[in-house]
Amino acid sequence: MAPLLELRNITKQFPGVLADDRVSLTVEAGQIHALLGENGAGKSTLMHILYGLSRADAGEILLEGQPLQLHSPADAIAHGIGMIHQDFMLIPRFSVVENVVIGLQKDGPQLDLRSAALRLSDLARQYGLVVDPEARVEHLSVGVQQRVEILKLLYRHARLLILDEPTGVLTPQETEGLFAVLRRLAAQGHAVLLITHKLHEVIAVADQVTVLRDGRVIGSLPVRQSSARQLARMMVGREVTLRVDKPAQQAGPPLLQITDLQVRGDNGQPKVRGVTLTVHGGEILGLAGVDGNGQSELAEALMGLRPVEAGQVTLAKKDLTRHSPAARRASHLGYIPADRRQVGSIGPLSIAYNAVLGTLRRYTTWGGLFLNPGHIDRHARHLVNEFDVRTPSIHFEAGKLSGGNLQKVVLGRELLARPTALVVEQPTRGLDVGATEYVHRQLLAERSRGAALLLISAELEEILALSDRIAVLYQGKIMGVLTAGAQESNSQIELLGLMMAGSPLASLSNLHTPGRSDGPHG
Amino acid sequence: MAKSHWIERRLPPTDSPLATATVTLAAIVLALLLGGLLMLPFTPHPGQAYWAIVENAFGSLRGLGFTLVKATPLILIALGTIVAWRTSFFYLGFEGALLLGAAATVWVALRAAPQEGLAGLPGWIFFPLVIGAAFAAGGLWAGAVGFLRSRFGGNEVLVSLMTNYVAILLVNYLVSGPLRAPGDLPQTERIPETTLLPFFIPDTRAHAGFLLALLAALLVWLFLRRTPLGYELIATGFSERAARYGGIPTSQRLVLAAFLAGGLGALAGLVEVLGVQFRLMEGIAQGTGFVGVVVALLGKLNPLGSVVAAILYAGMGVGSEVLQRRAGLPSSVIFIVQSLIVLLILAGDLLRSYRFTWPFRAERLTATAGPRE
Repeated sequence: MAPLLELRNITKQFPGVLADDRVSLTVEAGQIHALLGENGAGKSTLMHILYGLSRADAGEILLEGQPLQLHSPADAIAHGIGMIHQDFMLIPRFSVVENVVIGLQKDGPQLDLRSAALRLSDLARQYGLVVDPEARVEHLSVGVQQRVEILKLLYRHARLLILDEPTGVLTPQETEGLFAVLRRLAAQGHAVLLITHKLHEVIAVADQVTVLRDGRVIGSLPVRQSSARQLARMMVGREVTLRVDKPAQQAGPPLLQITDLQVRGDNGQPKVRGVTLTVHGGEILGLAGVDGNGQSELAEALMGLRPVEAGQVTLAKKDLTRHSPAARRASHLGYIPADRRQVGSIGPLSIAYNAVLGTLRRYTTWGGLFLNPGHIDRHARHLVNEFDVRTPSIHFEAGKLSGGNLQKVVLGRELLARPTALVVEQPTRGLDVGATEYVHRQLLAERSRGAALLLISAELEEILALSDRIAVLYQGKIMGVLTAGAQESNSQIELLGLMMAGSPLASLSNLHTPGRSDGPHG
Repeated sequence: MAKSHWIERRLPPTDSPLATATVTLAAIVLALLLGGLLMLPFTPHPGQAYWAIVENAFGSLRGLGFTLVKATPLILIALGTIVAWRTSFFYLGFEGALLLGAAATVWVALRAAPQEGLAGLPGWIFFPLVIGAAFAAGGLWAGAVGFLRSRFGGNEVLVSLMTNYVAILLVNYLVSGPLRAPGDLPQTERIPETTLLPFFIPDTRAHAGFLLALLAALLVWLFLRRTPLGYELIATGFSERAARYGGIPTSQRLVLAAFLAGGLGALAGLVEVLGVQFRLMEGIAQGTGFVGVVVALLGKLNPLGSVVAAILYAGMGVGSEVLQRRAGLPSSVIFIVQSLIVLLILAGDLLRSYRFTWPFRAERLTATAGPRE
């Protein structure tokens, strides 16, 4: 029997880039197939072609052996190909069943929500996707919204489900739940195509993995016959160390102290609701939590980019709560923002000018009246060399750098200012394995130097690999602080997951060996 | 399944100098061709008409003088536009800033008449003084809009447009009330001879205001390129969030940009009064404050580019006036050509986001897309 889906020699050329170069891929019914690759490897382009969003320059798509011409996502859905994007396409104010039937061809003039809800409940039971059809989507957690997206596709008789980086917004428990659903889908004869750059997910759930690099298929093999190490090598093209070496280190004095901090979000809602944290010199305090629980607001308030409603921020005993961003920089507080393109750098300006953002006044002559281009260039060249920024020139537009290289510019600029404390927000989001490894090493070097680091990340793996202590933020409140490695790794992840879902550590401590920590560990 | 697309969208626009030059040149040629069609009812030879424009505007010293006189306020308005717009402060109140500058200039110049307070002041004190006064008047006028925007938010485009009307009516009030000279016309006294800008090309109307505009262009260029403040304005303009993150007090910089823009716009009023009109009256601005913005856009918000754009733009106006007198060609035709050039150049920028692909070439590309290492 022909496989459910076969891609043959799909090629897509963009000006200057061959996004996909003769990519072939076979997905069998009942299979979870992972498409693994770094950013820019050609995964998204391939999926856009498969979902009818763009057209290949060459190659064919075969569905059960029949050639397929896809002109639009509606075409794809009609052929049983469904896709779940990273950002869900749901209408928050509609109920689950309304979201599911939206856009379907009606049988008659009357919208029959009742029978739709019945069918939805049947489907939900069949696949173990528990969800109340009458619930409003805005009241559902992210994990449940994702289930709604899956149900939407099943309701439309999708046989192949494409999931684009589905775990980015989920807690560990929600991820495990999703994987169970995917396994059940596969067991019932559906095919799942999982697009990801996370190795451990591939190992955890996929049957077959195809690795893409630079638009080409490096290999396709059963997951059982592969290892994380081998997949990483295929993905990056060289040996990578998956574990970072974190030398044991005595933490120093408390440097960054946050006391009962309260901050409002953009629409005036309280987003940080009484956060108290202390970061010591030579320590990385990881702040875990699902995106959108107040992390960005906290970081911005620390840097003075967002007004503080109440509470206090001190750096080395100096009260910075009401200081301007410039004064905070002068006091050696550094910040690597999550949005490196819109906040961390100024795209249309050169690397050299970006290298002096925040320290510009040091690079002037004539009593501060004029810039000193020679001095700026020397500083930029130093940064580019020291932090291995791959660029044709220091006068190259920063916005045209790849994510990894741009992050090196931002990182280098903040680190060369020798910060006493550094707030780091999502430092490796969207970076490839090589650049991630580099950023991690630099952050650990800063820790060795004695800086106090507050690492805000939605990637639990990252938090676990780097942190000395781990705090969890949920809806603007700290659920608790753990000493990294105080428990056996699996139970610690479980504990963190429960905290990320909103259970305070205090309510969990009777379930587990207490690993709470109020001070630095040795 | 290689389907041939003739035109393909590309996300980052081509920004090579060649692409920009090609698009600009194509826009001008197309505008001239379309304008030529409009001329056909009046003259069988549009090419000759165009040539006559060039000759009139640049071919003689006298014509060149007129062109430079017309270009001078345009340059100053364009410079103001550059400072404001590069800070992402989309100020459109230059008509008003010009009028405020003209009013302040006239008020100071009239004080230099015999028996007045500033009588007998030497030029090296008078001119810096009057320039400072005009600059401050326009700067505060526009700076107020900047302050409103940075303090309370709101839309500076609408607010600054409205301030134009306030300024126009304010000038009408001044010339029919407090500053009105005896006589039938609502206008001020003529300002004293000693306060006039000297002519710098013999036997032409070209006055030293043009040199002032050139100096201002040089200073604006230097300011934006070579000073920390200029860097901070540009950084604020590109990304206010990133600028704030970099410790730049963006609200203050916005007000500064507004002040400088208004001040430069006011200098346009100053050169009009001291170099051309010699008094304040109604209708002195005549849309210069808007044409200057267009000139800045044509000059790609570059100070030196705007000087060139202003001279060319003024030249078309001067040349066509002569043509209207001699050949009966309505100047509205030339105005249409001017507008077409602006429209097509600005619209042509969109073209840089597209790529023409010839069908046979597309297939070859695919065929040769071999292994890459």
